[in-house]
Amino acid sequence: MIKLDGVTKVYGTDTVAVEGVSFDVAKGDFVFLVGPSGSGKSTLLRLMSREEVATEGDVWVAGRNVSDMPPSRVPFLRRSLGNIFQDYKLLLNKTVFENVAFALEVIGKPRHVINEQVPFVLELVGLQDKSERLPNQLSGGEQQRVSIARAFVNRPLIMLADEPTGNLDPATSEGIMGLLQAINETGTTVMMATHDHRVVNAMRRRVVQLDRGAVVRDQERGVYE
Amino acid sequence: MMARIEYALRETWASFRRNLTLTMAAVLTSAIALLLVGTTFLIQRAFENLLVQWRGDVAMIVFVRSDASPEQIALIDGTLRAAPSVIDVDKLRYFDKAESYAEAQRIFVGDPVTLSLLTPETIPTQFKVVPLTQDTDLVRSLADQYRTLPGVEAVALAEDEFEIISTLSAFVRTVTLIMSLVLLGVAIGLIWSTIRTAMFARRREIEVMKLVGATNWFIRIPFMLEGLLQGLIGGVASCAGVWVLNSAWTSGVAAFKPGTGISSLVVPSGYLSGVMLILLLLGAIIGAIGSAIAASRFLDV
Repeated sequence: MIKLDGVTKVYGTDTVAVEGVSFDVAKGDFVFLVGPSGSGKSTLLRLMSREEVATEGDVWVAGRNVSDMPPSRVPFLRRSLGNIFQDYKLLLNKTVFENVAFALEVIGKPRHVINEQVPFVLELVGLQDKSERLPNQLSGGEQQRVSIARAFVNRPLIMLADEPTGNLDPATSEGIMGLLQAINETGTTVMMATHDHRVVNAMRRRVVQLDRGAVVRDQERGVYE
Repeated sequence: MMARIEYALRETWASFRRNLTLTMAAVLTSAIALLLVGTTFLIQRAFENLLVQWRGDVAMIVFVRSDASPEQIALIDGTLRAAPSVIDVDKLRYFDKAESYAEAQRIFVGDPVTLSLLTPETIPTQFKVVPLTQDTDLVRSLADQYRTLPGVEAVALAEDEFEIISTLSAFVRTVTLIMSLVLLGVAIGLIWSTIRTAMFARRREIEVMKLVGATNWFIRIPFMLEGLLQGLIGGVASCAGVWVLNSAWTSGVAAFKPGTGISSLVVPSGYLSGVMLILLLLGAIIGAIGSAIAASRFLDV
């Protein structure tokens, strides 16, 4: 589902973010990208969603080489991805329902599909009773659930999560991880960058560890070291 | 498809209302710029009415009495052609009654009293003369000679009739054209700025749209429509302005005495409609240009 082959990303002339990274992720895998701040975790996720372009090497996502993909095809790549962020990236002037509906609306889904899909996914994340609330009327955990609902409503093949529990307390993080695991069980591949050792150790899934832009460990059922 | 159109229109309208102050400034500037463009057209057309009989380097008009016989007309024609070193005989044109009447309708457009006195039967016919020489004294002495020919009612010289008007027309055209172009540039800049501000205000929304797979065109279109709408509203306002100006001018001109020449400076309503259509199109174009540049340039938020 994801294949990185000798991927290097250099910012400017000499700031190396990742260097010579290669690994494969099979369909339905759940992979933690771990490492200290600045080790290149977020850069790898941004390369996969084509927010960045690799300086060298190939990045294959859902069967497509995104490194040499023409810009006009990028939106269609992103429709097969769901993105989750530490700061949720919710639209503060829209309700929970509207935030989730927005993801379908901007890819041109008709109103009847939106009215069917959004309540379903809000129920999945446990926010069916808060669909008319604005984001600032919700807790951090609830806001992250809205973000997950928005990422999942289009049934993506891959979920890319960048520190989704970074702003949350342990109990709330547990709930969010449960949700990501449930999404993974539907067959969606999940790639999650984190330095939250509690969630990595609790889940015991594949761990790819980065240090200064290079892969230093790739372990099935790994823990945070 | 319907969902996309509905989305684009809804977002256009919402954004239009959100930036009302800047939008009003852009609309007002486009309206003033377009009003000036429209006024330029009208002034040019009004001057053209005055100058219509002198088009094509015509420097002398020999008016022939309406009751002149064919022999007298032939004599005048022969006399004019007898000076091929002074008169460009290839460009010598005879306007018969029908042509002269059609031309008079343009010259006396704002002077219905004079126009009603003219009929295709009573109107003088005319020879339009293009001299080969720059020597005005020579042309003037020829004119004196033609005045004595039988059947000639009058001889008019461009030098006496229209040189001041022609110079004034060229001056006014240059000034209004430059001002229009500057103001059109300002209008494009203001629309560009409005759209840029709108995009900046919605940068988070645009970021999310890109992340969930909206195409660049899907993101751009509401912003481009917003600019187009601003230009169009400016166009509509300028049309109203041009109409009011022209109506006031037409009724003002009617107060002048017939025969003063001022009555020619009236623009027919058909031409006014054409100008208004051009202003609407121009408004849409400046709106589209300003917003298209901004929407392409600032999409990477």
